[in-house]
Amino acid sequence: MNIYDLIFYLFAIITLVSAVFVVTSKNIVHSAFNLLFTFFGVAGIYALLGADFIAVVQLLVYVGGILILLLFGVMLTNKITNVDLRTGTIHIVPAAIGVGMLWGALSAIAYKTNWIKIDSPIPNSTAPFLGRMLITDYVLVFELLGILLLIALIGAASIARREKE
Amino acid sequence: MDFISLFASLKFIKPEITISITLLLVVIFDIIFNENKKIVWLITLFGVFIALIFTSLNLLVEGYAFSPVDGSHNFGLLTLDSFGSFFKVIVLVSTLLILYFSNNSNEIINTGKRQGEYYALMLGMLLGMLFMTSASDLIMVYLSMELLSLSSYVLAGFLKLRDRDSEASLKYLLYGAVSSAFMLFGISLIYGLTGTTNLYLINLYLQAPQINYIPFALASIMIFAGIGFKISSAPFHFWTPDVYEGAPVAITAFLSVASKAAGFALFIRLLKTGFVLRSNEQGMWILSDIFDWHSLLIFVSILTMTLGNFSALWQNNLKRMLAYSSIAHAGYMLLGVAVLSSQGVVAVLIYFFFYMLMNIGAFFVVSIIADKYNSEDIHGYDSLGYKNPWLAAAFSIFLISLTGLPPTAGFIGKLYIFIALVDSNMIAVAVIALLNTVVSLYYYIRVMKHMYLVKPAENTETFSTSPSNLVYLILLSASVLLLGIYFSPVVNLAKQCVGILGL
Repeated sequence: MNIYDLIFYLFAIITLVSAVFVVTSKNIVHSAFNLLFTFFGVAGIYALLGADFIAVVQLLVYVGGILILLLFGVMLTNKITNVDLRTGTIHIVPAAIGVGMLWGALSAIAYKTNWIKIDSPIPNSTAPFLGRMLITDYVLVFELLGILLLIALIGAASIARREKE
Repeated sequence: MDFISLFASLKFIKPEITISITLLLVVIFDIIFNENKKIVWLITLFGVFIALIFTSLNLLVEGYAFSPVDGSHNFGLLTLDSFGSFFKVIVLVSTLLILYFSNNSNEIINTGKRQGEYYALMLGMLLGMLFMTSASDLIMVYLSMELLSLSSYVLAGFLKLRDRDSEASLKYLLYGAVSSAFMLFGISLIYGLTGTTNLYLINLYLQAPQINYIPFALASIMIFAGIGFKISSAPFHFWTPDVYEGAPVAITAFLSVASKAAGFALFIRLLKTGFVLRSNEQGMWILSDIFDWHSLLIFVSILTMTLGNFSALWQNNLKRMLAYSSIAHAGYMLLGVAVLSSQGVVAVLIYFFFYMLMNIGAFFVVSIIADKYNSEDIHGYDSLGYKNPWLAAAFSIFLISLTGLPPTAGFIGKLYIFIALVDSNMIAVAVIALLNTVVSLYYYIRVMKHMYLVKPAENTETFSTSPSNLVYLILLSASVLLLGIYFSPVVNLAKQCVGILGL
């Protein structure tokens, strides 16, 4: 086991443990803070995989932007910290069987498959390549994402507005 | 670097560009004309009409759009062919029909100033559907499906004051998020196996012998979960009745026709370009033996139509009944896909064209009744034949056509599906589908019984529909009747439009 493996397991444990707390915590503020560690762990794994740009974006957008907004939302909302969240579990046996089967299939696939391997040196930075791809080969995807965000904005505004009775 | 290929690609997406511009205009004019929403409606109508003209003019154009600029291969993010154009025509025509529908449905009119958002979101849905019909890259597949889903989540719960609307929206969102997560996982597995997201390159990879069977099969099932949710096929149909019941009627009709059409177009293209190695002389597709799509599709389609038809038997809410009936119709159409030949695709195209007319018509009648009595319960239809003979006659025609009895268009649609089944020696499946049709007769005829055989009470008042609504209904029901007798134009058009650009 080399140093890379150790770092990977460290980030993986951070991600998984905090994710469990996000789901099981009864206090919504605790959940939000635990989500911070989940996002951070995922960003670490991205960096380890050589996807430096995505790692930075993950930190900037999720940790720096979305999570802070989420926390503001929670803190500025009256009474939300006192709300009793229901975290109970129902149908444990069928759920365990289903999840177990899925887990078995996925782990079998992860180990038995000949994944395609492309030998190429890890670039110093992926940002320029990503940028070039986004305005050439994937320009349509890029533009369509813009429209998707516009639709999301309109939809969010439409849902959030208070309706007159 | 050479950008000529990108500029050349623009001429292939004229309808999509038109819709995008219309969307922006709707947003802008919604702000400028805060009081009068008629203008926004007119702009939407005009934009969709222009897009329809562009599509019809280029019906038989073929080509790859947005291929890599370095020229490493020819296949791009989009594939234009007559098959995709046919579905684009279906999606655009049904949008035009739904636009009139929305403008005459009290549910939508009563939202007042929010109508601007309504039409903007509808255009978002439309744009997603147009890209779905021609996407030939898994990234485009996922993105266009998300564009459609996001808009429809909001539209399903557009009338926020009713509880069941919020329920519909939330249910749709939760089910949709799970199924799209599954689909994304399947896509990532396929990328890990093949190193590409382009369907044509995936097909090239499958032609080679070094294949991992199990991961590919799992990935295929996961991707089918995402698409099965959109077309509401059997194990993924649980959201359909609740969402269809809660959403505004116009959106229900739109979801049941256009969204399903786009899902089918996407699925057939995925199957044909991704998994079919070649076609033989009779037009039968030779599938890669990596995954047995044939058995899966037959199983799923029989399950879908049986569940849909038998659940519809007990429904007293017309919207719920039509929701289950639309599940059953998805089952019939999946059978056409399961034939795995160009003949099967022709049958699906014909079926969709007729399904669009009759289903939108049926929902329009439901909308008129719901506006009048504020409920969709079957007792609202008691002695409709006396209260409003025109409405009852039109509704009867749509119901008979949905059952699939002659002399209506629905019969021709089913006939072509059955012929395709029998031609490929799937007799047992055809018999099951036929028996299903018999079951469906019960719940369609039950509505007609309420309309004609319930004796009107002493003081029952007649009511009339507005002239424009009447014209709309007569237009739809007359075309359902006429196309049931003189159907060769649609059949010929469908036969021209089966060209799915393959390898």
